[in-house]
Amino acid sequence: MSYREHLPETKGYPRTAIAINAVVALAVTALILWWAADFAVFYEELFRIQPVAEGANAGVGSDWTSGNQIAWLDFLIAITHAADVIMGVFILFMVFLHWGAFRRLAGRMRQPGDSDSSAVAADGGRVADDAADDDSAATDGGESR
Amino acid sequence: MTQLDHGKFSKMTTTFHTLLALDVFVLFFSGYSLMFNDELWWMVNLMGGAQGVSAVHRIAGGGLLALIVFWMLMMLTTDTGRGNFREILPSKGDFDAFIQDVQFLLGNADERHPNARQFAGGTADEIPLLTYIGKGVVFIFAIELTLLTISGILIWSKTGVMEIMATKTAAAAFVTFHGLLGVIMLMGVMFHIFEHGFHPALYPVEVKAFIPKSMIPEDHDDDTEGTGIELLELAPSWNMASTVVGAMTVIGIVSVLLGSLFDEGYPVPREIAIGGGPTDILLTVGINMGMFVLLLGLVLQMYGNLLRVRWQKQLEQEASEPTTAADGGHVESDD
Repeated sequence: MSYREHLPETKGYPRTAIAINAVVALAVTALILWWAADFAVFYEELFRIQPVAEGANAGVGSDWTSGNQIAWLDFLIAITHAADVIMGVFILFMVFLHWGAFRRLAGRMRQPGDSDSSAVAADGGRVADDAADDDSAATDGGESR
Repeated sequence: MTQLDHGKFSKMTTTFHTLLALDVFVLFFSGYSLMFNDELWWMVNLMGGAQGVSAVHRIAGGGLLALIVFWMLMMLTTDTGRGNFREILPSKGDFDAFIQDVQFLLGNADERHPNARQFAGGTADEIPLLTYIGKGVVFIFAIELTLLTISGILIWSKTGVMEIMATKTAAAAFVTFHGLLGVIMLMGVMFHIFEHGFHPALYPVEVKAFIPKSMIPEDHDDDTEGTGIELLELAPSWNMASTVVGAMTVIGIVSVLLGSLFDEGYPVPREIAIGGGPTDILLTVGINMGMFVLLLGLVLQMYGNLLRVRWQKQLEQEASEPTTAADGGHVESDD
């Protein structure tokens, strides 16, 4: 490990803490999974007929019908859909934001091979105004003009 | 020219990142080949059908559980962990960095905010441990992974949920919830791959995630103004690669988002909907593109680790060479 002499002293995590926590984590995982596996009940003991729904849907399979009407489950799914859409739109915006920023930064770098575009690096250029929310930002937002 | 920006993470963190990423990729491939089985039927077959996929998903799920329990323990029981917690708390600087990024894109700002700078270069001393995106990633992934693990444990044995809720439909609802929840993380990881693989100065991979700070010699050359990015030469393939992968990332995110809206599992429909939604060719292509971006992330992270091994070998070699003695005489370039 002689190469370490030239490297900085950095504050890391103690080896013993890593070892102990790794063992504890594996033990906790084993316990949780053991509990989760034991969580199962033999499927034949589950309601074969559970007439919790009235009317035409009563009888065999009626628990499917009643389960479909649990309002808070419906709400949970709906709110997750909403979170997906909101976060998805936000993440897409962040992709375009970075894509555009990367193209601008790339324009400042020396171009591959030749340095004929050094003037681009100096002036900072200008970027299309609609770059933030537009797919075309990707292709024309750069400064390689 | 150097690919190496200042390393900022400890060896424990970089190793953890690699293990977590590998595990999460396996969870994505197994989990979403089930949820989007119309579009990713080939992936289901590849993993040995529905039973094989479930087995793979559970094994990787067990791994994730162990990893996050370990991480939580490390953050709570060590001084370094508790000390670092302060570093991930959002600050006003992070909000400013977001605004300035928009301004930078529009051309109204000349530089990215220090809290947004992925390539630190000459300004390495000014920039915080994590960018504002980095903090967001830590928070969102931590919340997501916790909720996914809890809902995953609940549906580990679905009969248990069925009994508690006194209905079989509840199990379907929890599976749906689990899958929909992961979509945020799926989209986020695609962005994460693009963000850290396609920065022009760091392309094709940001090695600070793989090479721990203990292996980066400190060399503060503060006489340069700014980051010094203009001294670096752009990789010839960057333009094409960033455009193609950027487009694939966007298409992938849009497709899994649309797919998640169509592939409903609750309320359980009265009639069997073959395909479970508009299984058109465009959605199939789009979701597969998203999976390709994930695969690319997997490859890039292996490449990052390969660079770490090479870097370590180079350091060992340089240290053992007699010519690099105390007088500082170098026989070869040390970039």
